Amino acid sequence: MTQERFIAEVRQQQEPLRRFLLALCAGNGALADDIAQDALVRAYVASGSFLGLSKFSTWLFRIAYNCYIDNCRKSCPEDAPLQEAVGVQSADSSDRIFRYQQLYQALEKLPEKEKAAIALFYFEDRSIKEISAILDMPQGTVKYQLSMGRQHLKQHIQL
Amino acid sequence: MKEIEDFLRENRPITKDDPTFILETQRRMQQVEGIKGEVDRQRRHGRVALILALAAGLALGVFATVIAFLYPVDVESASEGIVQSVRLFLQSYRQYLLMPVALLAITLGIVLSRKPVRL
Repeated sequence: MTQERFIAEVRQQQEPLRRFLLALCAGNGALADDIAQDALVRAYVASGSFLGLSKFSTWLFRIAYNCYIDNCRKSCPEDAPLQEAVGVQSADSSDRIFRYQQLYQALEKLPEKEKAAIALFYFEDRSIKEISAILDMPQGTVKYQLSMGRQHLKQHIQL
Repeated sequence: MKEIEDFLRENRPITKDDPTFILETQRRMQQVEGIKGEVDRQRRHGRVALILALAAGLALGVFATVIAFLYPVDVESASEGIVQSVRLFLQSYRQYLLMPVALLAITLGIVLSRKPVRL
């Protein structure tokens, strides 16, 4: 894959990728972008091994998820500043800011796999099959993670 | 559960519009290209040095074998001088000389037949 083609693909995928990582990082935008950059460099280095057996975005999200997991192992994400959530663009009403804070606080309490499954399914509109490929787990497990994630979120989000 | 699902769909995270993101990605990719180029260059140098060393070894081996077989040394009379000592040594072990020469030729063949690894 040439550098130009890779950049073109990245241009298309950068927003969903950053949003996915932003959800995983519980609203810490700086950390999410850092992991996204790391993932893109890794993807670029490995782009020669991309055979096109899956969609480029699926492959890229999988690398990003692995980068996120590596980052979690290196440093605990509990110090993710929640005030980042306040700075979210277009969140101009205090109600909306409160809902984002609530969402990120709830997401932060979820186990990584549940969080990733929830983010991919509800924020990125990915199919169970795609999530299964990204998270490298059977489709049944993805459904289970989604179900558990919803239950856990319900305990932490007041509606 | 429907409420949670609706809540999640209505409040999907919104990323800050950052025009520097792609620029930063391109900058990092260029750095990667620089590193790749340097590693490639070093590998090429290593490969050329290896091929030259093998070829030189092979040429010397063939030369020594030819000398040993074509110009036999009289063991009784040849006992002085470095050149004579070397020739005497080759004469004594000439039946084994072809082995390292063959090994060098095989190694050179393998190295030349393998494509250089591209990062």
